Amino acid sequence: MSARPGRKPARTPERKPAAKTVRKTAVRPVRRTASTQAGAPPVLQMRGISKSFFGVEVLHGVDFTVGKGQIMGLCGENGAGKSTLMKILAGIHTQDAGEVVFKGSAMRRNVTPLEMQNLGISMIHQELNLLNELTVAQNIFLCREPRSAAGLINFKRMNEQAAAVLERLGEKIDPRRKVYDLKIAQKQMVEIAKAISFNVELLVMDEPTSPLTGRETRILFDLISHLSEQGIAVVYISHRLKEIIDICHQVTVLRDGQLVATRDVSEVTARQIAALMVGREVKESRAADHAGTPDDVVLDVQGVSDRLLKNVDFRVRRGEILGFSGLIGAGRTELMEVIFGMRRPEAGSVRIEGRPVTVRDAIDAIRADLGFVTEDRKETGLVLCRDITDNANYVSWLKNRGFFKGRKSTADSTRRIIERLRIRCSSPAQHVSNLSGGNQQKVALAKWLLSGARVLILDEPTRGVDVGARQEIYQIIRELAAEGVAVIVVSSDLSEIRSICERVIVMHEGRITGTLNASEFTEAKVMYYATDVV
Amino acid sequence: MRAMEQRSESPVIDLARRVWRDYSILVVFVVIIIICAVAAPRFILLDNLLNILRNTSTVGAIALGMTLVIIAGGIDLSSGPVLAVSGAVLILLQRMVNADGSPAVPLAVAILACLAVATSFGFVNGFIVTKAKLPPFIVTLAVGIIARSLVMYFMRGATVMGNNIPQFTGIGNGSVLSFQLGSATFPGIPIPFIVAIAMAVVFHILLTRTKFGTYVFAVGGNENAARYSGIKVDRIRIATYMLVGLCTGIAATIEMSRMAAVAATTSGAQYEFEAITAVIVGGTSLSGGKGRIVGSIVGFIILGIVNNMMIMLNISPYLSGAVKGAVILFAVLMQRRER
Repeated sequence: MSARPGRKPARTPERKPAAKTVRKTAVRPVRRTASTQAGAPPVLQMRGISKSFFGVEVLHGVDFTVGKGQIMGLCGENGAGKSTLMKILAGIHTQDAGEVVFKGSAMRRNVTPLEMQNLGISMIHQELNLLNELTVAQNIFLCREPRSAAGLINFKRMNEQAAAVLERLGEKIDPRRKVYDLKIAQKQMVEIAKAISFNVELLVMDEPTSPLTGRETRILFDLISHLSEQGIAVVYISHRLKEIIDICHQVTVLRDGQLVATRDVSEVTARQIAALMVGREVKESRAADHAGTPDDVVLDVQGVSDRLLKNVDFRVRRGEILGFSGLIGAGRTELMEVIFGMRRPEAGSVRIEGRPVTVRDAIDAIRADLGFVTEDRKETGLVLCRDITDNANYVSWLKNRGFFKGRKSTADSTRRIIERLRIRCSSPAQHVSNLSGGNQQKVALAKWLLSGARVLILDEPTRGVDVGARQEIYQIIRELAAEGVAVIVVSSDLSEIRSICERVIVMHEGRITGTLNASEFTEAKVMYYATDVV
Repeated sequence: MRAMEQRSESPVIDLARRVWRDYSILVVFVVIIIICAVAAPRFILLDNLLNILRNTSTVGAIALGMTLVIIAGGIDLSSGPVLAVSGAVLILLQRMVNADGSPAVPLAVAILACLAVATSFGFVNGFIVTKAKLPPFIVTLAVGIIARSLVMYFMRGATVMGNNIPQFTGIGNGSVLSFQLGSATFPGIPIPFIVAIAMAVVFHILLTRTKFGTYVFAVGGNENAARYSGIKVDRIRIATYMLVGLCTGIAATIEMSRMAAVAATTSGAQYEFEAITAVIVGGTSLSGGKGRIVGSIVGFIILGIVNNMMIMLNISPYLSGAVKGAVILFAVLMQRRER
């Protein structure tokens, strides 16, 4: 994996995430090493950056400094503020407070992404921003195409210049090829080439290796080192802490919108970085005594595999609340989609109450009394332009026979569920699009409660939900479990998992990497299984 | 939302406000009628009004089915040609006579065959749209072109006369509920309009009271959410195309009965666009998920009024497109506030 073997001290592959180490490292002062890059003059200084969205502060006075030619790792849990910080840097968001100093001069606050690119800051997003129908050269020189005397695009010159830039990267891609023909790694190269053609001095890369194979990753790392030697600074965002240690000079850790630490990578282990990411005091308010007694197994999943998932086994019992933790892209949602019949697995079986069920379609899952509150309620959960009554009853109408909706019984059950879930609305005929996030989520839940689901999968049940409604949703989940429903909660929010789940399964890259009971649950442990520290 | 927060002075003003907010198409409708009555006093005569209703019912029947398809997020550009094909089937069966001059095929059988052909075209449209996952615009355009070409080929581009018997022509030209009151005569309500209104009632109930109707809205509003709720999205889609096919078959029956003839090139020409126009004027969203049958009824009657006024005011028929285009823009602009 390592691009530059021997640069870092070997670590003992010990698999015990000791909380003690966490505390110790957290107070250790930053020590400058002899590394030239670490001591290089800063090319970028972000000072006291704060940013709020809709009244919620997501960045609290963050300082972030990158030296010339330095490779700076940037880590943090989902929602720690990494992306927001980088989007401010790229000119996509404007900070509420603080200043950005690039090459010694302070930026205007409302600088545009194009200005930033022209100044030499380029960002390569996780989802690559290339136009598939255009050629490599056209993508590199988009909106800056060399012109002929007549004002038309000079394709010959453009292709030559593109070839020259690609040459600098040591990449042999024909600049006349259409981008959709390229492999992911090549597309990334095109993005890097585009950045370089802007005379980039600071390159931000967001999870660049997640779609790459091991060999491609090594090529990318060689390239990054090469860029660094040419004096180009790189901000490297990744959840793969090993890679950070391998490739970066320093690492900055953010947590809940605050700067936690900046360390030389020679000073820390991947496990310590994980501990810094989680950091906070582990509160002991857990889900110990709420749910009913978990007895018999309701859902039994065996050997589920597909392109992403690798031989996943797990079971859920009646009345249990099982958490699924892991980082974005670990395959949790994909696994749930397999169970719910929205995705065809290559192998594996699902049993409900001991009976094998073939789920080819959502309706099969629904008939087996499964329910699935999806992570994106606007995209897959609700029909926003219809009212609460419709949205809450789609599934129960499907389950019941009959041609007509049965207006009276529908109205009764809708009114009851609105009361039970305390959905705040003007009437059951109110359009779902006019409800707040929390109330929308309750409507998404109502759909499955009215249909009598016995296994309920909740994917990110409180995403975009305010704090009050969040507690109400937790309460509903506990009540459901007490009634004997088996509940699966997929969540990236560790405190959420901790407050409602009795057991948590951690996934990483399509595999189950660990199972923790409520008693042994710490966020550091979860983060340890969720990254590839092992 | 803003309107609801305003204090209400009186129930009448409240009602007016609600009508204005939710049924502005009715307001537009009344305004158009007043303008027409002022511009051409003959417009408001009973015979003329009944005539408008009769003339507009064919497109109206198609517009009802089209409303469902559009609410479900689709479109059907093949209705006109399908009307010609199914109409041709009807006329060809209906004109076959025995040696003694009596019909060889019972009229009911001929009509059922016409409806079956039209519905099958709807099924083909729906099947290709859902299974091949092609845009409905392209599929129905292609099917329409094929249908028109086939009917022209088999009829050699000619017009074929049907068997002009009153049982058949009475469907499109007859009226019911005529009565005499002193010296005044009420000529009765045109049968085509009765048929269209009966269909409208059925479709309205289908959309607002049945599970199927709810799923139609769900599929058009958010296909993914519908799928995750277990709704068989493809089946709903195919059903809407079959229903617009059935509507087209009914429209073909009315049209053939009125003309007692089918013309390979002109029968049903442009009807799909007239029907889509009526649906849009009626406030149904082309992006799916929103719409009302009531709106489409008003929509096709407005189109009928526009056609009628062109004749009343002796305006060149070449200008009818300009007027209709303006009506579409006006009606849609009026309703944009509702969203």
